[in-house]
Amino acid sequence: MTLPRFLVANARQAGTVAVFLVLCLVLSVLTPHFLTTSNLLNVAQQTVINAVIAVGLTYVILSGGIDLSVGSVLALAGVVLALALQAGWPVPLAIGACLVVGAACGTVNGLLVAFGRLPPFIATLGLMSVARGGALLVTDGRPVSGFDASFRWLATGEVLGIPVPVWCMLAVYGVAHFVLKRTKFGRYVVAIGGNEEASLLSGVPVAACKVGIYALGGGLAAAASVLLTARLNSAQPIAGLSYELDAIAATVIGGTSLMGGQGSVFGTLVGALIMGVLRNGLNLLGVSSYVQQVVIGAVIIAAVLLDTVFKGSKR
Amino acid sequence: MKFTPVLLFAAVSLSLLAGCGRSPDPAASAGSAAAAGPVIALVPKTLNNPFFIDMQRGAEEAARAAGVTLVVQAAERETDVERQMQIIENLIQRKVSALILAPSGSREIVPVVLKANQADIPVLIVDTRLDAAALQASGGKTVTFIGSDNHEGGKIAGQFAVERLGGQGRVAVLEGIAGHETGDARVRGFREALRGHPGITIVASQPANWERDQGYTVFQNILQANPTVNALFAANDLMALGAVEAIAAAGKTGKVTVIGFDAQDEARAAVKAGKMAATIAQNPALMGRTAVERAVALLKGEPVPADIGVSIELVK
Repeated sequence: MTLPRFLVANARQAGTVAVFLVLCLVLSVLTPHFLTTSNLLNVAQQTVINAVIAVGLTYVILSGGIDLSVGSVLALAGVVLALALQAGWPVPLAIGACLVVGAACGTVNGLLVAFGRLPPFIATLGLMSVARGGALLVTDGRPVSGFDASFRWLATGEVLGIPVPVWCMLAVYGVAHFVLKRTKFGRYVVAIGGNEEASLLSGVPVAACKVGIYALGGGLAAAASVLLTARLNSAQPIAGLSYELDAIAATVIGGTSLMGGQGSVFGTLVGALIMGVLRNGLNLLGVSSYVQQVVIGAVIIAAVLLDTVFKGSKR
Repeated sequence: MKFTPVLLFAAVSLSLLAGCGRSPDPAASAGSAAAAGPVIALVPKTLNNPFFIDMQRGAEEAARAAGVTLVVQAAERETDVERQMQIIENLIQRKVSALILAPSGSREIVPVVLKANQADIPVLIVDTRLDAAALQASGGKTVTFIGSDNHEGGKIAGQFAVERLGGQGRVAVLEGIAGHETGDARVRGFREALRGHPGITIVASQPANWERDQGYTVFQNILQANPTVNALFAANDLMALGAVEAIAAAGKTGKVTVIGFDAQDEARAAVKAGKMAATIAQNPALMGRTAVERAVALLKGEPVPADIGVSIELVK
């Protein structure tokens, strides 16, 4: 495939990348502190948590669903991890327990959606409150903090000059991209989001797939909680408030359609990077906190507008 | 025409950013920062609470007087420690000369204090103390703490309650976010003052997370469960003001002695109007001013004491 043809075939993704590059270019002109190795690594680290949650949401949204519970699931899985670590569990076992809790929450979402026939918005809204309450209950509302250096390595360590959390993010995206593009499950996700009835009629195990999709979303929120807990050296029961909205924004900026069936994991990564770079740049420029919120909101609207305008012009 | 929208979007983001670059805030143009001398950063917990807006005002006055550049950045939510951490990391990238921080989490923010230490940026803590044990365990260092003695403030509130109730009463407490040193210290002080007065009992003590709407609903629920409550201590004014509305809605205005904390303008007005009995005055503007003055002194190489108290008083 020639380059122009590749660009046309992936115009929406190319558009997201173009926006990202323009943003970086503008920032590097406006401030000398942006385009430095240490700042770029800094932005990458700041993007990790949103990006990992957003992969899960990309699968959910691709299948035509939505998951509002990820922020609360992150908090619950995080405090389980922290309590397990403080109880002296070995690090891999504690992380395993954390991921299981996240995936279990997601499975409940999936069962409610697939078999309980609840709209995803409602099912996950309910679990959002349940998981938050659970996190507050088990910790009595207090943060749990202070862990071994071996665990903190997940936040502070570096391999080949790149911080460990960034490697984790890249690994998650690599696997998620492969699963979506190269496995049957991945194709089912897109098919369900494109046309659920047609998928069902052509033999796609729709219900089972949905349970899997939401379990994956919960599991990835838990994975993000591992990185967040290591970063703050502490797990808070009130962590992750409104993180679901950031993750939805990253997914949508990355070109995934809220109607389902269209989008990519790669786009979401770029979407998350756009949000990270924007926040970083506005901090570096010393822009007022109030103006920052306006700018970020405007960018989200502009990105979705871009999507609808583009789809309109294709017809 | 497929790329038209992309160009459109690029143009929009460009103009937005360019607009930001032209902001009247002198700190906004990073290019001039180096020329303008030291840049002092103030990171309050948030900027949607009047307490921190007063702090910002005090800091700005001091910065103007000293001729230094002040950058103020804060998270949208008071509880969003991760975002506060990101803001500080970004300010470290910007190589500010000193960092004044009101921690969103006494323990959670310690790792980024360590990062500032590594970048040789002195850290001054205002309003909320860092957890001493967590700081020591991490090897992090701060220059000073500038803030009120919250424990003492809680005690003053408690003594006032005892006086006002005449030794007999059923008291409710609205706490801040659980695990926050500031709120914990206030409530501890309040409880201490009540000790030795067996006629006064605390019938309910619930967190309302510093927020006004939660103060309203939580106190409404407390009133349902304990209709005879006749005094309330709220660990900040926002929660107290929310509770005042709940009391009005229940038709009990004047029957509950409400004591707040912070002495914000609205709370002072409520005290004057008789809707609140008292509030404890902290002086956030003075905190902001002192913090910037001390940061400037520090940059000049002058010594700075490790603990600087800011006066506290009862407004009734």
